[in-house]
Amino acid sequence: MRLDIRYKMHFRYGQAVQESHNEIRMKPRENRFQKVIYYRLRSNPPVRLLQAVDYWGTSVDHLGIRSSHTELELLAESAVETSPRPTPKSTIRVEDLSEPDFYSDYYEFLIPSAHVQWSPDDVFVKQASEVARDSNSLLEMVVAVINEARNALVYVPDSTEIGISLTELFAGGSGVCQDFAHLAIGMLRSVGVPACYVSGYLFAADETQPIGSLLTDVSAIGSTDVSGSVAEAGELGYTTFGGLGGELDEVHVQTHAWIMAALPGHGWWALDPTNGSLVGERHVIVGYGRDYGDVPPVRGVYKGPTWSDSDVDSVVIIGRQDTSTEGWDHSVQNAPPHIVVQSGYNPI
Amino acid sequence: MTTDQFSDSLLLDSLGVLLADYNPGKNFDETFLPDGSVRALYQRIVECFTALDVSEINRLERLVDEEFRRQGITFNVYDDEEGTERVWLMDLFPRLISAVEWGKLEKGLSQRIKALNYFLADIYSGDSNVIGDGVVPRWMITSSEGFQRSASGISPTHGAHCNIAGIDLVRDRDGKYRILEDNLRNPSGISYVVENRAAMAKAFPRLFNHYTVKPVEQFGKMMRNMLESMTPAGVDSPHIVVLTPGIFNSAYAEHVFLARLMGVELVEGRDLMVDDHTVHARTIEGLVPVDVIYRRVDDDYLDPVAFRPDSVLGVPGLLGAVRAGTVTICNSIGNGVADDKAVYTYVPDLIEYYLGEKPIIDNVKTYRMYEPDHYEEAIERLDGLVVKPVAESGGYGVLIGPHATEQQLKKARAAIEAEPRNWIVQDLVELSSLPTLTGERLESRHIDLRPFVLTGERTEVFPGGLTRVALRKGSLIVNSSQGGGSKDTWVLASETPEKVQHKTR
Repeated sequence: MRLDIRYKMHFRYGQAVQESHNEIRMKPRENRFQKVIYYRLRSNPPVRLLQAVDYWGTSVDHLGIRSSHTELELLAESAVETSPRPTPKSTIRVEDLSEPDFYSDYYEFLIPSAHVQWSPDDVFVKQASEVARDSNSLLEMVVAVINEARNALVYVPDSTEIGISLTELFAGGSGVCQDFAHLAIGMLRSVGVPACYVSGYLFAADETQPIGSLLTDVSAIGSTDVSGSVAEAGELGYTTFGGLGGELDEVHVQTHAWIMAALPGHGWWALDPTNGSLVGERHVIVGYGRDYGDVPPVRGVYKGPTWSDSDVDSVVIIGRQDTSTEGWDHSVQNAPPHIVVQSGYNPI
Repeated sequence: MTTDQFSDSLLLDSLGVLLADYNPGKNFDETFLPDGSVRALYQRIVECFTALDVSEINRLERLVDEEFRRQGITFNVYDDEEGTERVWLMDLFPRLISAVEWGKLEKGLSQRIKALNYFLADIYSGDSNVIGDGVVPRWMITSSEGFQRSASGISPTHGAHCNIAGIDLVRDRDGKYRILEDNLRNPSGISYVVENRAAMAKAFPRLFNHYTVKPVEQFGKMMRNMLESMTPAGVDSPHIVVLTPGIFNSAYAEHVFLARLMGVELVEGRDLMVDDHTVHARTIEGLVPVDVIYRRVDDDYLDPVAFRPDSVLGVPGLLGAVRAGTVTICNSIGNGVADDKAVYTYVPDLIEYYLGEKPIIDNVKTYRMYEPDHYEEAIERLDGLVVKPVAESGGYGVLIGPHATEQQLKKARAAIEAEPRNWIVQDLVELSSLPTLTGERLESRHIDLRPFVLTGERTEVFPGGLTRVALRKGSLIVNSSQGGGSKDTWVLASETPEKVQHKTR
């Protein structure tokens, strides 16, 4: 599926700021299921960007603006071609998780991280352990734990802020896609399944609605001959949701977050706890890491007054075909070319 | 027993008042053999001290103390309610290393640092062949607190990640040198090597008469040459700065000293800024590009964009500049993964893997508490071993089994069981001893040795090092932050002293 993404962020500062330094993670990642056709990031004020690749393999644009400014606009445009992902074999055993090489390779996704902390006393940890115990296979276990996480939260836009602990989140009972992802990750890790956080874009009118097959019929997911039907289910879902009538060509969305669980002999298996589905062609991955902290779209500092009288607008538009740039304010122009750093090495 | 040209010993007729009751103990004493005879290496030193009376030695001690005071040579102790700054302590009885012995140490230290630099380059290049080839398990790296994911892809000039290393060496009961730990992040102490020598030469010049001691004054030049060799490609005459966290840092005096010795500016984070992925120093003449930063700011505080956002000690955008290849940071970021004390246990394997050589200097026997057989071997014998946290330095958190209470041992066992990766357990090395002034006498006190290894275009061991001494009787904790002192350390240049005659008491 060809998807075009325009991600615009507009920071307005209460007073002039200077020496703003930022890392931008907006470029879709290249992998077996996703080919990047095009990517361009522009900023206003315009500056020379430095592109590098971080530890996780995510593309990072380093952006520094020395001079005084009261606004910062970022426009990241990209186009990708996505393809369906194979489903893992249902024969993978839970015991394989403790195979030493597997454990060693995925160790950093098994332990608590900045945004994913838990203790054995947490109710959600006990719940995860219960449903894990009742599972007959690893796939069943992963799906059961994710459904448990999904059922623990109600999707409420803007209900939480980054930095909320899993304990607080679980007690509050509501959250957004990051929260569904973090809770699912914590619960999976607590039962010994390595899990990572994925940041990206989802082509859907409503990120809480199921895309593709629902994570209910585990036997169907686990059988080896349904990989085609999963993609098909995705296609079927496509024309029906959103309530906008007819076929969607372009949607306004927010950045989305989902997870991947590592399975012995298979590698990462991508799942979407927010809408309880498999990850399919509509999911565009930007990057992954231990949690949100490893893949924020923008991270940076500036010199100037505190954030309190400043604000930010963030818009993501995803189109299914090539989209025109009509309606966009293209004040971002004449940006100097990128310095491209291949795999984090010295500039060419 | 070590073999060198000074393995002869002799008994002196009289040891004078200072050494009359000297008891070398059961450990390896650098100066005396168990039968009370003096090792030939130290004969002239002992003779010199034998000729001194108490008032004379006390006068010399005061002279040294005043010298350090006058020059403001101090060190800081954190968590000390009585105030954090103390005058540096140097004992007048020097530590000697023969030319032969030093030659071997030099080879062994170079070998170790070369292997560790290959390791760091391998880990941070993203290749991680050392993991793929099964030498070190991946989790050992990813579980290390010192592993900086933000440093991934950084490849400094010459692949030199660790430009200045301080390696702690001890001598066991047989006098065999062993590596106690590596300090590859921001090792401190080098300034004291130079200052100790200056104070010693001033207070006690006649002591040098019978020995040819390798000089240490050239350190600034050596260090500057090393930093110059780290200049990014395409820069002719590099602008080098020393980056300090500021006056509240325990090693601030050293930062000042090194900057002065090298003839470069000492700056704080706020004196630098990044524009277009290039670091500039704010000067009265305007912004001047900076090419090499010898930084004494810890990784986590270097750049608030990549690390702790609340840090005001660093330079925003610095990491971007490093990635752009416009500036070199020395030491590089993330060296903590290689001086992690659990990773330490793999260093002999790293030497074999990267260099195809056997380690010249061995580690102290160390137990990996996350490995069941190591754990079984050590956990019930903690009272005879040493327990160390893997990520600390400066002697903090170290438990010496035989000196610990039952309560402390119980706590240590519980801590190990909770987080086996965070602890190592080592054989207790008794540490060699050296006569040390305690008011009116010279008594045996334990010492270690921290030599410094510089790596830029090539790897060089600085001749000498910091000998630290535990000033409390029987104590094995030599860290200055824990009440240790120091000794001037003499690396002998050649076959000095002249052939000595045997005498009997």
